[in-house]
Amino acid sequence: MPPLSAEITRRAALGTLGAAGLTGLGLAWPRLTGRDIPGRGEDVLTIAILGTSQDAAARQDLVAAFNEIHPDIPVRVQGIQGNDWGDFFSKILTMIAAGTPPDLVNVATEGTQLFASLMAEPLDDYVLRDAAELQEYFDDVHPTLLEAFMYEGSLFQLPTDFNAANMYYNVGALELAGLDRPADDWTHDDFVTTLRAMRSANAADFVPYFWTNRLFGGLVPWLYVNDTSFLAETKAGGGTWFWDRFYPGEQRSGGYRWLEPNADDPRVEESVEFLRELVADGLGTRPEEGGGGALVGLFASGRIGTTPAGGYWVQGLNEAGMAEDEFDVQFFPRWRTQRHQFGAAGYAIMSTSPRKDEAWEWIKFTASRDGMELAYPLPSTTPTRRSMVNEARYAGKGPRHWEVFYDTLDRFPTTGPIPAPPQQAAVETALIKNISAAVGGSASGVPRALANLQRDLTQALGRTA
Amino acid sequence: MTATALRTAPAPRATAPRTRRRALPTPSGATRVVILLVAAALTLGPVVWTISTSLRSPAESFTLPPQFIPTDPDFSPYAQVFQQVNMGLLTLNSALVTGVIAVGQMLTAALAGYAFARLEFRGRGLWFALVLATMMVPVQVTIVPIFMLIRGIGLSDTLLALILPAIPTAFGTFLMRQYFLGLPLELGEAASIDGAGVWRTFSSIYAPLALPGMAIVGILAFNFHWNEFFRPLIFSISEQNYTLPLGLVSLQGNLGTGSISVVLAGVVLSMIPALVVFVVGQRPLRAGLTAGVSK
Amino acid sequence: MTTAALPTARDAATTTPPTTHGTAQGPAWKRRLVVTLFLAPTIIGIGVFTLLPIIASIGLAFFRWDIITNPEFAGLDNFADVAVDPTVRRSFLNTIAFVVVAVTLQIAVSLGLAVLVAQRMPSWLRTFFRSVFFFPLILSAASVSIVMRYLFNEDFGVVNWFLSLVGLPGVAWLTSGWSAAVVVLVYVWQQFGFTFLLFVGGLAAIPNDVYEASAIDGATGWRQFRTITLPLVSPTMLVACVMSVISALQIFDQPWVLTRGGPGDSTRTAVMVIYESAFRQLEFGRASAVGVVLMALIMGVTALQFRLSRRFVFYQ
Repeated sequence: MPPLSAEITRRAALGTLGAAGLTGLGLAWPRLTGRDIPGRGEDVLTIAILGTSQDAAARQDLVAAFNEIHPDIPVRVQGIQGNDWGDFFSKILTMIAAGTPPDLVNVATEGTQLFASLMAEPLDDYVLRDAAELQEYFDDVHPTLLEAFMYEGSLFQLPTDFNAANMYYNVGALELAGLDRPADDWTHDDFVTTLRAMRSANAADFVPYFWTNRLFGGLVPWLYVNDTSFLAETKAGGGTWFWDRFYPGEQRSGGYRWLEPNADDPRVEESVEFLRELVADGLGTRPEEGGGGALVGLFASGRIGTTPAGGYWVQGLNEAGMAEDEFDVQFFPRWRTQRHQFGAAGYAIMSTSPRKDEAWEWIKFTASRDGMELAYPLPSTTPTRRSMVNEARYAGKGPRHWEVFYDTLDRFPTTGPIPAPPQQAAVETALIKNISAAVGGSASGVPRALANLQRDLTQALGRTA
Repeated sequence: MTATALRTAPAPRATAPRTRRRALPTPSGATRVVILLVAAALTLGPVVWTISTSLRSPAESFTLPPQFIPTDPDFSPYAQVFQQVNMGLLTLNSALVTGVIAVGQMLTAALAGYAFARLEFRGRGLWFALVLATMMVPVQVTIVPIFMLIRGIGLSDTLLALILPAIPTAFGTFLMRQYFLGLPLELGEAASIDGAGVWRTFSSIYAPLALPGMAIVGILAFNFHWNEFFRPLIFSISEQNYTLPLGLVSLQGNLGTGSISVVLAGVVLSMIPALVVFVVGQRPLRAGLTAGVSK
Repeated sequence: MTTAALPTARDAATTTPPTTHGTAQGPAWKRRLVVTLFLAPTIIGIGVFTLLPIIASIGLAFFRWDIITNPEFAGLDNFADVAVDPTVRRSFLNTIAFVVVAVTLQIAVSLGLAVLVAQRMPSWLRTFFRSVFFFPLILSAASVSIVMRYLFNEDFGVVNWFLSLVGLPGVAWLTSGWSAAVVVLVYVWQQFGFTFLLFVGGLAAIPNDVYEASAIDGATGWRQFRTITLPLVSPTMLVACVMSVISALQIFDQPWVLTRGGPGDSTRTAVMVIYESAFRQLEFGRASAVGVVLMALIMGVTALQFRLSRRFVFYQ
């Protein structure tokens, strides 16, 4: 045995170490259990948004203004990260699975039916109850946007921001190609001509057309202008309670239905083949290359000619160093139609929430003009209120033709939402993987990829989400 | 697959000529070093590129040709990392998770390893076989029930959800058992004769001697969990509970980042602790990784 | 990477160490208590966090469950999916193909480099090589994949830039049929250092006089490698194969960050399907079924390897 004194010293040392460890553990306990997260586990209205905790903190003004009206409703905005809406929804589903669902979720069109069918509370009673108060909101917001948030005759969200897939272009690249701003009713052939001119006038590492391989900004705009879609689109009945009350004279439905796959439509093949040729001819990039920061950075550094995007891009391009006259926006080119695709977002109340009345107050507040001004101080998205899409918003930032953003809704009344049935995740997966295979491959591969898409969609839609 | 190459050695043919002529050309000494140098360059190349590109200004980060030596370093990407993600919190979370797991594994593995190596009890072989058998089951297979379990005990979306299930370690127990088996038996016998009980014999004789083995367990746990991605991806919902790898991937995805150099700056920052482990703990880490074969 | 190093077959078989402290003091109940306390954290922990979940996973695989509504008995439907559902089936085929290619490449590269490092050279140079090849192991697969995603980018990636230097056209590495190859390369780049270490140890254990004897017999170079090195390093090879196969079967991080499984399903792996089924589509039963099949695959392949080893591994 070691000498007694050494034994004692060692014991003391070990004891000190152990005590220090336990103290450290005690100090870290709030971190380990998440109790130091503000509002965690307290009786507050929890609102999940897609974004970082910085984005959540950026809504502090909004929360403060809300609390001036409702000092008795404590609010916690929780930023949930994701690369896209699909990522975000899966995190919300994980929160439900984990037994910690939020009270409200900021949901985009991509997820509206997923939430409506599984876990969101219809707003019908609330809307009718506070109809007088809300009339001013509906007067200012295009009915097309509301119809996207109807599901089987009920309304689930009040849209607060939207973005249609318009076409951004790099002014310098266009001028280099010796072209003027395209006409409002330019066709898809004009579009290809423009890309070719850009191609030959610009450097080798320049990409005339860049797209994002998501539901938004990817294939669907090219399907809509070709008067088709990869899902058969029908409308639900009902909803007259809403339209008659707030938009008298509008012939609108109880919401979109995407029940059947439609990938075997020859026009779908026509659109996909069109995109495939763009890639094969070196006019467009492969779909997976697009998306996120890389796209903004590449566009701002002048290496992209055109890309489909909505009003949300202005702020990003500005921050990446583009001046107001260096980029501009035009309607999506016409093919058989000039039907545009849009995405929109608003808050949905979770049906599990014990604070539904408070949650409704939040929805009303974010739909109010004050709320929207606070929520969207910058052109990082397009507010749904027509009166807010104005000169002042885009002053000094561009684009010159910012009217395009709201005009899209007025000029093309059939403009529709991103096709997103309740089985959105499986549908998006099927779409992305098969379209990327089709667009990246040879012409002979297109029919097979679309047959696979049809098969995958059939399976996806047959599932119960 | 490779097993067919492993037939036992046939006797060298007696007729083999005693010249330096060979059936197949083999590289000479200099060529071999060149091959090794190329391999080393391919291994280090991406790392060097990461560091140098992280020192380019965000606007230049897309520009080709690539730079491998940062001639005009620009530290603004690093500043931007700190603006975009809470690097301090990410690091704290990673450190807490890995630290508690490592210490927890060292302690529990030492105890269990000692029991399996030096204590007699009924069913010892059976228990040990059971522990060993779980080594083969990947965490992905059990992730759904573990998720439910975590929900059941109210630890959803906490760091403890990452820590608790990772502390019991079959591999660490195996390693510590081997380690204790390698320590001389006589020390314990002498202690027994002196009247020391099981706990005394363990705590004052064997545990101190087994510290190097425990260090191996700790460093292995650190290396694995510091870099872990799959479980945090599922268990960490709030950004406040993100660990470094998760934070970095989200740095890449956050809209508006627009710059490779910022993402790479984050990668470089997250590499620093791993580098420290590399410098300090390379030997025990190597020993631990190869421990399965050492006998 | 994984720490799941395996004991050799002989270790696992040695369940009784030579001697123990049978003479220790104290009444029997006290000794039992001490043993229990020593084992409790590990045994209970493994029971709760591994064994129970395995059993639960097997049970869950027979249900359809989205967590929100009640579970519904599904019989063997979820298992049928593994064979029938094109995505799930493809993901398993991908995983198996990945294991075969990646492990073969990893073993070949690491054994080759280990043999080269074993030759005569200044010791600082050897230390340098050893450290360099070991280095990627300490990085996270996620951040390595982030870096590689940029390097292999079609439009501004360094790899295509190097190709353009020698006049070759750029390749759509991550968005075409090449993506599976990139996943293999990125994985092997990070993992070969591990088997390299194993082989360095295995080669060092071969006594020099064996080589000297064979040199007298005229065996050099390639033939020496085939007749001496390979057989004598075969026990190490077995362990290297077993461990890298187990780790490769679990691949997730690299394809998740690099390609998200695309294009098409071409880089979707079994673990990715587990994650997507459970946490993106709320199909927990199907996720469990895929997990159970993966577990069976791992155990089967490992058992097979040990069986084969009886025929091919040469023990001195």
